[in-house]
Amino acid sequence: MGQLILGQLLNGAIVGTLYGILALGVTLTFGITGIVNFALGAFMMLGAYIAWYLADGIGMPYVFAVLGAVLVTAIGGFIADQALFRFTRNNLVNGLLVSIGLIAIMEGGALLIWTSTPKDMHYVLPGVLHIFGIVVPKMKLAVFALLLAVILATYAALTRTWIGRAAYAYAQNPEAARLMGVNTGRLQTGVVVYSTALAGFGGALYASLYSLEPTMGSLYILKAIEAAILAGIGSVLGSLFGGAILGVTEGTGSIFLPSAFRDAYGLIFLVAILLFKPAGLFASRK
Amino acid sequence: MLLDVSGLTKRFGGLTAVSDVSFGIGKGEIVGVIGPNGSGKTTLLSLIAGSIAPSSGTVAWRSSEIQGRRPHEIAAAGVVKTFQNPQLFMELTVFEHLLIAGHLMLKRALGWRRISTLLRTGSGNRDSALDVRAADIMRLCRLEASCDQRAAGLSYGEEKMLGVAMAMMCEPELLLLDEPATGLGQAEITSLEAVLRDLRDHGTTLCVIDHKVGFLGRLADRAISLHHGAKIAEGTPAEVLRDPKVIAAYLGRHRA
Amino acid sequence: MRPVSKAVVASAMVIALPLVVHSDFLLTILIFSFLLGMLAVSFNLIFGFTGQLSMFHAAAFGISAYATHLSMKYWALTFWEGMLFAAALVTIISVGVGAICFRFKLKEFYFAVVTLAFSEMARLIVLNWNDVTNGSLGINLQDKPTLWIPFQGLIKVDDTLTWYYLSSVGLGLTILVCWRIVHSWMGRCFAAIRLNDELGDALGINVFRYKLAAFATGNFIAAVTGSLYSFYLGFIEPGFLSIDQSLAIIAMVLLGGRSVIAAPVVGAFVLTALPHFIHFSAEVRAIVYGSILILTILLMPRGIVGTLTSRLRGARNAA
Repeated sequence: MGQLILGQLLNGAIVGTLYGILALGVTLTFGITGIVNFALGAFMMLGAYIAWYLADGIGMPYVFAVLGAVLVTAIGGFIADQALFRFTRNNLVNGLLVSIGLIAIMEGGALLIWTSTPKDMHYVLPGVLHIFGIVVPKMKLAVFALLLAVILATYAALTRTWIGRAAYAYAQNPEAARLMGVNTGRLQTGVVVYSTALAGFGGALYASLYSLEPTMGSLYILKAIEAAILAGIGSVLGSLFGGAILGVTEGTGSIFLPSAFRDAYGLIFLVAILLFKPAGLFASRK
Repeated sequence: MLLDVSGLTKRFGGLTAVSDVSFGIGKGEIVGVIGPNGSGKTTLLSLIAGSIAPSSGTVAWRSSEIQGRRPHEIAAAGVVKTFQNPQLFMELTVFEHLLIAGHLMLKRALGWRRISTLLRTGSGNRDSALDVRAADIMRLCRLEASCDQRAAGLSYGEEKMLGVAMAMMCEPELLLLDEPATGLGQAEITSLEAVLRDLRDHGTTLCVIDHKVGFLGRLADRAISLHHGAKIAEGTPAEVLRDPKVIAAYLGRHRA
Repeated sequence: MRPVSKAVVASAMVIALPLVVHSDFLLTILIFSFLLGMLAVSFNLIFGFTGQLSMFHAAAFGISAYATHLSMKYWALTFWEGMLFAAALVTIISVGVGAICFRFKLKEFYFAVVTLAFSEMARLIVLNWNDVTNGSLGINLQDKPTLWIPFQGLIKVDDTLTWYYLSSVGLGLTILVCWRIVHSWMGRCFAAIRLNDELGDALGINVFRYKLAAFATGNFIAAVTGSLYSFYLGFIEPGFLSIDQSLAIIAMVLLGGRSVIAAPVVGAFVLTALPHFIHFSAEVRAIVYGSILILTILLMPRGIVGTLTSRLRGARNAA
């Protein structure tokens, strides 16, 4: 039993970083542009498919495939920002609806190009490690480490670099930031592009572990938003913990209760949090 | 005493906005609340009207305790507050604002029977008494000219008057006014004074916060003064304004 | 034109239409438009008029469909009894969900998320309760509702023409009820809640109670629609409760317009008719759909009806 729980905890933490990297994008987008970008899930899907195509279709080395995926999603994010999100700043309802329209377009496009047949990528890093008697695939560990690194690096950049601090300042007080000379238009576009790039990165790594199909993004973005809300939209490190908490809750819930409802456990937890601690578990002080 | 405030306190984290304030308001009085910025006047009124719940203390209205109740319940009980920054329904006209404000009036007139008006067809969807009262109040508040004007196009003075007008539609026994004269020109202030005196003469009790010491001085029968959330003086406006503590509060904050 | 005259003219046109149009195809499109129109108009009551973005509407629709069929199957009820039971059930659930959300004063975005969560939970239950709901395979419905018609007795609602009139009556009643509410004192409360609920509260409006009233009423109508729609289609599946369905409803309301209570019917018609006239594969339909949603929000925020009425008003003023 202990092994089972430990295994689920580990698995939950790993899945949690996938939720976390999307949640990070959600948090950043919300803090700087005032909307929740549901389409980040679709960008994750896009990154996954591009990585798969570049690695298996063209035969690029996996590392370049990942970079290619990030590039494509970043460009996609830029286009989406200029064409759409630029007009829905700070308008949650419109932003929500526009991003949903975007999801429909992206998923439809993916269905057209790649069909709904699941795609599997070849094994990039075969082999397993034994940790405390639990079998963990090496690739999973690598993905976990990479995502963790990127999330932490983002946090470091936000708190230590000039750009990061400008972004933080803007999130707290847009007027003051503008007066201090921060180019808010470019900042907002930059954040949108960065968050789609993060999503693409997560997707590219996802491709090395799981099967791809065009609707994979929808489930993940829902979880990511749950994770972000759980932690408190606005807390960067919180998205990491929120993701982990969600991943672990689902995993352990599935041990004791029917796993078919795995998705529901996170939801119930989320509703409870929203009702009793609406600012989230790690809400940053305003 | 119509309204009896006793030991009212509100803490926001480490900050005490209102500190152990006690006072009473009798029927037909106009009581003024003065004090520098940040002295807790708006918080005090919000505590009485229910938009903020107190940390401790009681507010008794007609001998029953109302502290901690919801704003709409307190409004229904007869205590209505206006907003310092005018709160409006931007898309709607002045007349429509007053119709909405007539909700309590309708509720009192019809009670549960108002559900049946949902089924009545044709023009029975508006109580004509509501229309009449709205017209009266618009005349009283000098808003007739802007009757069909959308709220978005009103001047600041008109917005504030609309706030007072809406509060009046609620048939309040006690009307709490949060800085009604702030931002108004002299002519508008004179109008406002006339409207408020008229209200009092018709039976409404008033409690008014304002900075304009002259305005309050003329209008109020009694005044209390707040400083850092605590009551430091009470009496006639003249007495309070002469009180050295009050003068020090307004002028001498920089002195130790 | 006074509202009553407008209603009379519209009703006359609807009633007379089948005398002129004999195409089964066209009538079928209209039936779907009317039924989905009921969904969209009832959603407009909650979203357009009271300002609450509910993601629970499709769940109300789907739960009712299942509840109607299952109550008929296990308790030998007639269609109408089943529909009544399902509508009552859904209303009770809505009051529960609404009470939780509004009691905690969830702001619009969080309200959307929590209603989404509840909707997903319902869908998961339906999807996994295989014994009862047949899971993802769905249920084929053999029964048909029966109606008592003067001079003809009890007939089965089985053919296009009868469904046409039944669905048009459903839509007519929906518009009538919603119109009455919106133009009454309760409608004024809804408007206050939508525009500035803090002010409404200060003026004595019990915001909790009226948000709940709008939510429950809208979901009740969605439930009735669910019963009718599923029996017309002859099939129910968990997709009725999906987020896609909720989004379809939102798209209809945005496309048709929010300012007039009946405007979403236009949106329902366009989104129903379009795929039938322009044959798209499912994937392309999704792309077109998403594009319409985006274009509507960015370019026509008042919807078709709203944009047309303001153009007409502008032209009239200029003349």
